[in-house]
Amino acid sequence: MATGVAVRWARPSTGPGREAARSVDAACTRSWLAEVAGSLEQQRDYLTQLDAAIGDADHGINMHRGFTAVMRRTDALEDAATPGQLLKAAGRTFVSTVGGAAGPLYGTAFLQAGEALGDGGSFGPRRLLEALHASLEGVQRVGAASEGDKTMVDALAPALAGFELELRTGGSLETAVRAASQAAGEGARATVPMQARKGRASYLGPRSVGHQDPGATSTALMFAALERAVLADRSQRFAAGGRPRGSRP
Amino acid sequence: MIQSVGRAARILKALGSESARLGVTELAERLGLAKATVYGLLRTLEAHQLVQQDLETGKYRLGPALLQLGNAFLDNHELRARSLLWADALAGRAREAVHVGVLYGPNVLLVHHVFRPDNSVQILQVGASIPWHACALGKATVAYLEPAGRDELLAGPLPRLTGRTLTSRAALDAELGRVVEGGVAVEDQEAIVGEAGVAAALFDHRGAVVGAIGVAGPVERLLPDGSAADVVAAVKEAARGLSRELGAGRQAAPGAGA
Repeated sequence: MATGVAVRWARPSTGPGREAARSVDAACTRSWLAEVAGSLEQQRDYLTQLDAAIGDADHGINMHRGFTAVMRRTDALEDAATPGQLLKAAGRTFVSTVGGAAGPLYGTAFLQAGEALGDGGSFGPRRLLEALHASLEGVQRVGAASEGDKTMVDALAPALAGFELELRTGGSLETAVRAASQAAGEGARATVPMQARKGRASYLGPRSVGHQDPGATSTALMFAALERAVLADRSQRFAAGGRPRGSRP
Repeated sequence: MIQSVGRAARILKALGSESARLGVTELAERLGLAKATVYGLLRTLEAHQLVQQDLETGKYRLGPALLQLGNAFLDNHELRARSLLWADALAGRAREAVHVGVLYGPNVLLVHHVFRPDNSVQILQVGASIPWHACALGKATVAYLEPAGRDELLAGPLPRLTGRTLTSRAALDAELGRVVEGGVAVEDQEAIVGEAGVAAALFDHRGAVVGAIGVAGPVERLLPDGSAADVVAAVKEAARGLSRELGAGRQAAPGAGA
């Protein structure tokens, strides 16, 4: 947490004539969750295939089932629900509907992020950075994994680092979520040569080498979805003359 | 020690630790041996089908004879052979996956695995190696080791596998006490997040602990507010029956009674 506090923040690079999204509101949070649900549905079999090599072949199914429940739960929440409330509801739903390691780990990640976002109706990049820190801390508390253990931390930690670096060097919310998404994808691919030190894959010892970690892969999908949601948000704002959208996607 | 046998063993282990195939040069570099030496060893191993050469790339991988040897190891494992029926019955009764494991250094080696009887996709975990202090099978076994063996394991490295793994000697000492007291070991997400286990020790005719049998499954099913009483009863019963079959007397396990 402390790493984000002591730095001097550079001025956002948003110049005149560029309508950049500078905060994420509840509608954008909802569209992020919808993007995640969509890509988990699309990638369900791929994730399960990755898991079959080193786990118990249920990651895609679990994630898809969990996010279907998350969408049902958040769709039922009133329009006034804040981003923090949406993520906390997502976390609780995940914990209660998803078995295996994914339920407690992603559930904690969303819950912690939701807590960190507080009660505001929208959040800016610095708040998002705090939320990412809280997520990573929560995941590491539950799973005791470090970078290099071949887990979701290998996508989450680089995503956070990429996001933070981009912000510190004057990037905007958009460029920062893009950096996070890229770093998460690279992090997931970098798990291929790793030997698993946590989770069921670690039982395989050296045989876990040569396979991409399913958890890191699903984390990368979530950051890619965040990037899409934030960029789409910006283009819609732009189209609406800079006014935030009132309705849900 | 016979040097060439040792070298051949190192080649097999090197090939077994990589999913990629290895060429003669790579192997020679990795093992610090001359290429001609490695080549000679590989040709001999290949003649026994212990390694196989890929015709297109010329690289080597493990051969089919190793699978037969591995299976023979399992088939000749007395505990595994005797546990088949008991493990099936336990899986049917508990409606969960069943594991039988033996201590192998600081790890539990799974020698038998019965799938959860629900037709879901499951991956066979026979051959998996789990740190003893993080799993129910390991705690159930180590609780009944003679003091010297137990102390050695308690003094060894106790890696943290999840946020719930017990990693201090004091905590594990207390845990082993609880195992002996209750006759059953419980694992609450100590090896894998979301996974639980309940296991009981197995004893032979000398009354010595030889391994453990237990169920493994999602924590919400196996440990709903503590451990499910019927699962604990089923595990203990299977362990008692299997121990009796291994020749253990009724008093073999001091706390393993109902």
